[in-house]
Formats: sequence, structure tokens, C-alpha cells
Amino acid sequence: MLIENMLMAFSAIRANKMRSFLTMLGIIIGIGSVISIVSIGDTMRSMFEELYRKIGITQAYIAIGYWVDDWRQSDYFTLDEMERIKEIFGDEIAYIDSDAFTSGDAVCARTTVKFNYQGIDYNYQEVQPVNMVYGRYLNEGDVLGRRKNVVMDTTSAMNLFGVENAVGRTFRTTIYGTMDEYTVVGVYRKDLNPFQAMMMGANTEGGEAFVPYTILTWPNDYFYDIRIFAQDEATMDTFFDSLKTYVAKSKGRNPEDFRMETAKAQMGQWDSMMGGLATAVGGIAAISLLVGGIGIMNIMLVSVTERTREIGIRKSLGARTRDIMVQFLTESAILSACGGILGILLGGGIVTLGGRLLGVQAIVKPAVVVLAVGFSAMVGIFFGIYPASKAAKKDPIEALRYE
Amino acid sequence: MGLFNRGSEKGRAGSRLQYMTENISEELIRLEDLVKIYDTGALKVLGLKRINLTIHRGEFVAIMGQSGSGKSTLMNILGCLDRPSMGHYYLDGVDVAAMNPNELSLIRNRKIGFVFQSFNLISRTSALKNVELPMTYAHRNKRFREQRARVLLERVGLGKRAEHMPNELSGGQRQRVAIARALANEPPLLLADEPTGNLDTAASVEIMELFSQLHKEGTTVVVVTHEEEIAAFTERIIRFRDGEIVSDSPNAPREPGKKADSIKETTENGMDRSNVTEGEEQLC
Repeated sequence: MLIENMLMAFSAIRANKMRSFLTMLGIIIGIGSVISIVSIGDTMRSMFEELYRKIGITQAYIAIGYWVDDWRQSDYFTLDEMERIKEIFGDEIAYIDSDAFTSGDAVCARTTVKFNYQGIDYNYQEVQPVNMVYGRYLNEGDVLGRRKNVVMDTTSAMNLFGVENAVGRTFRTTIYGTMDEYTVVGVYRKDLNPFQAMMMGANTEGGEAFVPYTILTWPNDYFYDIRIFAQDEATMDTFFDSLKTYVAKSKGRNPEDFRMETAKAQMGQWDSMMGGLATAVGGIAAISLLVGGIGIMNIMLVSVTERTREIGIRKSLGARTRDIMVQFLTESAILSACGGILGILLGGGIVTLGGRLLGVQAIVKPAVVVLAVGFSAMVGIFFGIYPASKAAKKDPIEALRYE
Repeated sequence: MGLFNRGSEKGRAGSRLQYMTENISEELIRLEDLVKIYDTGALKVLGLKRINLTIHRGEFVAIMGQSGSGKSTLMNILGCLDRPSMGHYYLDGVDVAAMNPNELSLIRNRKIGFVFQSFNLISRTSALKNVELPMTYAHRNKRFREQRARVLLERVGLGKRAEHMPNELSGGQRQRVAIARALANEPPLLLADEPTGNLDTAASVEIMELFSQLHKEGTTVVVVTHEEEIAAFTERIIRFRDGEIVSDSPNAPREPGKKADSIKETTENGMDRSNVTEGEEQLC
């Protein structure tokens, strides 16, 4: 009987192709916009997650809070303190440095390029792998010996030296007021998608280089914050808490006076912001579904009136109230579900196409698709109830007499 | 037994039901003090005034009268499309006067086969699907439905037009599809409301011959008409005027031999499919 009803519904929809399509259009646009907005939201979230994976999800900074009024000399960190933290927390730490960076003009022959220098330890590659193409990474000797060696990416090398393979080349730059000569020991290639390049700051004209962090903390060896990568993502929250407690205690302060910023918390903020935005815009799009549903109700009312005689015939042949009701409900549900399926194709198509143009992988979650089809069929059934019950309640004699 | 009952042997339950009901009562229809009042708000119109009527199983009855005589009202009540205001209507031994609309739907489905003046086939639906429809509402399975629908269409001479849409058929052919559909659930009562009203003479005769044939095979046929020529085919004529029965008399049905040669030929070969198809093609 259900199959019979569905076949009847399809033939009724086919009989009025143009009208059925126009009726569906409301649902198509509604579902299409819901799908594309939710998918854009999901895609953005996954892009942010990937971005944070790239910069290190286990990453955190600890420093004295900016809300603390009485800053003391002891609130700064020293290399000795960092060594002690390394000893105490040992296994929990994947990487630790003084989060040192500075900038300065790099000069090679007649070329001057503005460079950003990031101070790193030799094992930074373990938490932030780079694709070395020429030379080597900074090693323990560079760090401990405070050697003026640098590693830069291919773009920076091109900008400064005009070649990618700049291994062995030197340039002069001023760091903390002292002009020195630095040597390139390695060149790596950055693999970023357009979104990541945009978010992490695209480097097209300037330069970036890794230098031993010991250079950037020298000569006074005091620094404002510690950058740390936890070993284990699952237990990092408790680790960060105990680290904060330890640091505060060692400096004679309360734990609340220290600021611990984790990449995960930051990502969570982005995530909830994107989620909130997608929900809000999706909600607005859902209103168009309501409009689509009203369109379906309207056309079903017309259809019921047009087919009054058919209803009379069916009743005379033994159709019960319920049979007529189910027949028209099936029709409106199918009409709406077809609109929903077309809407998914439309929304999915737009998102996929847009993603391809921007060079990112668009995400259309199956759960959203199932939900959308289900929801559109529900819209069809809900807005079909009134016309269907109107049809089912028709008096057979009146209906048979209808011209 | 004719072709129809042969067909029914395929649906065992159906034939057993028929067998049982035949033994319960020879009366198929009994109306007792049946009254129908139309309440239009401002005034009440008496549609039927205390009708008492009995129709036995196997009868071929014509109900006649001018428009407004109450024959259509009676037809609607007999067909369980409408309920009487007072009195009893026993159909096949069951009082249907007090039944609710869904119970009446079931009665219509199982006990009554309708043939209407305007054929009332479902448009854009093949002859076969139209004939299947009452069986669909009786929850018969697809194979049974299709098989029986083909047998019935074959029976009314439209075996080769099963897949045709109603708008591809002539009036006479449409009415024959309607008759096949009316017979789908082997109802004890065949109710025809001006079945030839929209047909030309030749097609009218064919349809009435078909009813005669069905009657001879044991089906109870009630035809509502205002045409004497149509009523002449039946065995009993009940006349209505102003909501009352004014006469109820037996009728000697028109014998095929008495008619003109052309009609006689059709009658004799009425069920010869090739011949009928030829005739219908002229009509198209």
C-alpha cells in the first residue's frame, strides 16, 4: 500500500512537472542554503583545527599576568629556571624555549630585506616538522655555543639571496643593537594551503629565519615568557596546571597571577565562535524552509480541490478516510523530500565548487544530509496534514458531483 | 456458472464468502421505513418518504423516475455513500443505516460495485490500474490484483487495452473498464447510475447487454435510469415520484430476437472480443 501510494504520488508529481518543481523550489533553496551554511561552518572549523595542528595543538605560553600591578624582576624567567622546569617535568615536556623573537634588516650585498627571527632550540623540529630541502637544521652545538647560524625558508632565501639554495651564504643583521654576520646552514620549504598562509601571515616580500634561542636571550638572559609543547595531548591540561602552580610557587606568587595560554583553548574559542555563527545563519536559512513548507501546503490545497472528483471516486471504491489522508501525505512528503534531495545537491555543489576555487577540501557531513532530508520530509508531512485531512474529510457524494 | 465465478475460484476466500452469504439470506437489500431528510438550514426537504423495498439476490432491477423523484437519493443510500435519516437498510443481512463513514467504506469496497454515468475512471491511470484500485483498498497483493484485473478486462472485451489510459478509450470502452472495476472484489450488488447517459445508442446497447449477461451469471444488478429503453432490459421496474415508490412491477426483458438485425448481431456476438474491438474502433 505504501509503495502504491508512492507510485501514485510520483505520477501526480509528474503530471504537473512545472508546478511541482516551482513548489519544490522553496524547499530546494531552503535546504540548499542550510546545507551550504552548515558545511561552510564545518569546513572553517576543520580548517582552524588543521591550522592549530600545524602550529601545535599542545602548545602553550606561560607568563606573568598583564593584570598584575607589581611586576618584579623575579617575574621574568631565566635560562636556569627553564632548565629546572625541564628537569622537574621531564617526560611531560616535548619542547620548551624562551619564545624569543625579534626583527631586523638583513643585508646581503646590496639587498636589504626585513627579517623576523625566531629563537628556537635544536629539537624544535620534533614538534614543528619542516621540510628541509638544503643543508641541515640547527643543532645542539649551535644552541649551546650561541653560534650565529640560521635556517630559513625558500621564499626568504629567494628574497635575500636570489636563490633557494642559500646554504653557506652569509648576511649581516642587527640583533639587540649589535650588527653581526650570520650564516645560513639550512633551507626548508613551507607547505601551506592558501587559508593557512593567510592566517599565519604570508611571507612574500620579507624574510623569516630560525636562530638559536640562546642568541636572542643573550646578553641578559631574562625573558618574559616560556613557550612549551606538552608531550601528550590527553594529559596536557593537568600538566599545564601543575606547571603553573610550580612556576607561581617558585616565584612566590599565587597561581592566578600567571597567565597560561594554550592553543587548544584558543582553538576552542574560534570553534565556538564559528559554531555560533553557523547556527545563527543556519537558523535564518531554516526560515526559508518554513516558507517552502507553506508553498507546499498551498499547492497541496490546490491539488486537493482539483482532484475532488478523484477523491470521490476513490471513496466510492472503498477508500477509507485514512487511505486518502495517507495518499496526500505521501504526496506532500515526497514532493518535499525531492526538494530536499535537490537542495542537498545544490548546497553540496556550491560548497564543493567554492572549496575547489579556494583550494580547500569542503566538508559536507552525512549526518547533516540525513538530517536535511528528514527535516524536509517532516516539513512536507507537517504542511501536508491540513490539505490531506481536508481531502480525507470530503463527503463522497459531494466529491463525486464536483465538476 | 459464468466466467466471473470461474475467476473467483482463484480467490478461494472470496468464493466461500459468497457461498455462505447466499445461504444466509436470499434477500440482498431490504429497506424498512427508510426516510431521508435534507436539512438545508432554512427548510427541511423530504428526499425519501418511508420507503419499504426488498431486492432479492440475482434480480435485475431498474429504478426509474424524473429528476427530483428521489431515485438519486435512493441510489446514494443503496450505495452506502449516504446514510438514511431514519429507518433501516439491510444489505446482505447487515443493517448499514447506522454505520460510520469508515465502516461504510469497507461495505462499499466489499459489497458494492459502482458504475457511474460519467464513468469516473481515475485519469492518467491505466485501465488495468483502475480495475486494480478496489482490490488495492482491499489490501490484495499485487500479483493477485494484476491477474484478476486482466481476467476482468478480458471479460469485458478490453484485454488488449489494459495498458491504455482512460483518455485513449472511447466512451463505451471506458464504461466497460468501469464495469470491470465494479466487479473487482466480487461484490454481491452491482449498482449502476445512469450507466448509458453519456453513451450513444450502440454503446448503450452493448453496456446493457453486458449487464444482462452479468445478471444471467448470477450478479444482482440495480440500474438507476430515466430512459424506458434502458429499463426495458431489466426484469423489474420500480418507479419513483416525489420521494415515493409509485409502482413496482415485473418486466419481461427485451429479447434479442425482437430487435433490429444490427443490434441482434452485436448481442449474439457481444462477448466476441474481435467483433467488439472492431465496433469500438469505429467509435473512436
